[in-house]
Amino acid sequence: MEKEELKNTIFAFVEKAKGKKKLKEKDIIKGVSADAGVEKDEVKKALREMIDVGRLMYSYGGGASSVEIPSEEYLREKGMIK
Amino acid sequence: MKKYDTPLLDELEKGPWPSFVTEIKKAAQKHEAAADELGQLEKSYKTKRGYWKHGGIVGVLGYGGGVIGRYSNLPDEFPGVAHFHTVRINQPSGFYYKSDSLREILDLWDKYGSGLTNMHGSTGDMVMLGCKTEALEPFFAEISSRGWDLGGSGSALRTPSCCMGASKCEWSNIDTMNLANTLTQAYQDELHRPMWPYKFKFKIAGCAVDCVASIARADCSIIGTWRGDIQIDQGEVENYAKQGMDIKAEIVDMCPTGCMSYESKLEINNAECSRCMHCIAKMTKALGPGPEKGASILIGSKAPIVVGSLLSWVVVPFMKMEPPYEEFKDLADKMIEWWDDNAKPRERIGELIEAKGMRPFLEAIGVEAQPQQVYEPRKDPFFFWKDEDLG
Ligand code: HEM
Ligand code: HEM
Ligand code: SF4
Ligand code: SF4
Repeated sequence: MEKEELKNTIFAFVEKAKGKKKLKEKDIIKGVSADAGVEKDEVKKALREMIDVGRLMYSYGGGASSVEIPSEEYLREKGMIK
Repeated sequence: MKKYDTPLLDELEKGPWPSFVTEIKKAAQKHEAAADELGQLEKSYKTKRGYWKHGGIVGVLGYGGGVIGRYSNLPDEFPGVAHFHTVRINQPSGFYYKSDSLREILDLWDKYGSGLTNMHGSTGDMVMLGCKTEALEPFFAEISSRGWDLGGSGSALRTPSCCMGASKCEWSNIDTMNLANTLTQAYQDELHRPMWPYKFKFKIAGCAVDCVASIARADCSIIGTWRGDIQIDQGEVENYAKQGMDIKAEIVDMCPTGCMSYESKLEINNAECSRCMHCIAKMTKALGPGPEKGASILIGSKAPIVVGSLLSWVVVPFMKMEPPYEEFKDLADKMIEWWDDNAKPRERIGELIEAKGMRPFLEAIGVEAQPQQVYEPRKDPFFFWKDEDLG
């Protein structure tokens, strides 16, 4: 799978869980790897690239961390949108 | 700078000891955040209510931890503390600094933050108190360009910490500082990218005196110990007796395993000794650790959040601890993997072992059951055999 396509798959996976389930990094890696038949390490790498540029973000609530789609407020704060 | 009347806080400046109020007042001459912090705290003392909020998503790009979001509930009344985030900075092993590196970081903190710090937090990090959201990225860019980095927070590895051990203490059985540094470097990803069910901490003590309280504060406590016999200098034992030490009452009767005796000379039944350090710490000149050094690996301690507090218990009674520490890292990876695969969100490894039992844990990490792992005697008569056991 092309990297960009993989990233879109990851994004869709996170989007589907939005508001239903808090996903840890490992949930995404396992889930996408199983759904798309891509090596876990490859998913991990793509996921982290997405986090590094703010396409996804680490979030924190109730003591535990998760990966989520960034809010507009976050992106604005990081200077990624106006 | 706004000035508040603080009659209640002023009470805490009285007496001969240093006062945090005095320190915050000093910072308040330069920083609105410190000034408003005083105002809000005085109000809390008056109304007996707290006005801090925790949480929110604050951090630096790419990292999932290192900054703990803090906000005031009264931002209109105290705008200087509307955001008052905590920034954790990874401390050097054993908390050693050169005076100019301390000055560097504190000057930066005067520039970007409230000027208030807390050295060190219980995790070990330097704790920089009171950062505005918009100052986080510039502060981080500046400290990281000078070789500093953030510590851990959230569901991540927390910054490993250690006692000053081998650098200054004759009792250290391992190079605590080298090990803390090696683990910090090896687990950079785990420190900055929270990927686990909850937090995980390594703390390293050179001996059972445990100056970092690793046994109570780390999911994995690494405590230096020895194999072989405690070294005894009988002449020095006599000197202690001559100088008035009651060796029977202070040493022999205080030995938790009852393995010492003192008639004409001090004798130790080393096979029964639990390496607790009591006798060595009391008779520094007469006694010393045995010749073969290593560490005990313990698991499970935590403060009470989901269930009650736990102390760590022994998993591996003795392991050699020499660079590059492959044996230890291999064990740590297995322990963490089992926990990560099995834990519910916010469940610490000690809680998971309590829920599932030692047996599946030991099987997962490939360690044999041993008497030293017994935490307390069984209270019930049940034993669940597996088919393989019955052959
Ligand atoms: C010669 C006949 C028997 C012998 C030698 C015998 C022996 C024992 C022994 C050694 C125990 C274990 C005690 C302990 O763990 O401290 C026990 C427990 C027990 N026995 Fe018997 N027993 C006999 C007959 C019976 C009969 C006829 C019944 C019921 C109809 C019975 C019901 C129980 C029960 C319910 C327990 C468990 C008690 C507990 O868990 O606290 N036993 N027995
Ligand atoms: C409404 C009826 C019953 C109630 C509420 C009841 C309740 C209990 C309770 C609470 C225990 C202790 C369990 C434990 O702490 O592990 C127990 C154990 C036991 N009961 Fe009953 N029981 C009842 C009927 C019976 C009957 C009719 C028998 C036998 C014919 C029986 C045989 C036993 C035995 C053998 C044990 C010990 C089990 C063991 O130690 O492995 N019980 N029961
Ligand atoms: S824990 Fe032991 S080795 Fe470390 S500083 Fe304390 S006494 Fe020394
Ligand atoms: S180290 Fe502790 S257990 Fe061992 S002999 Fe000394 S007091 Fe006893």
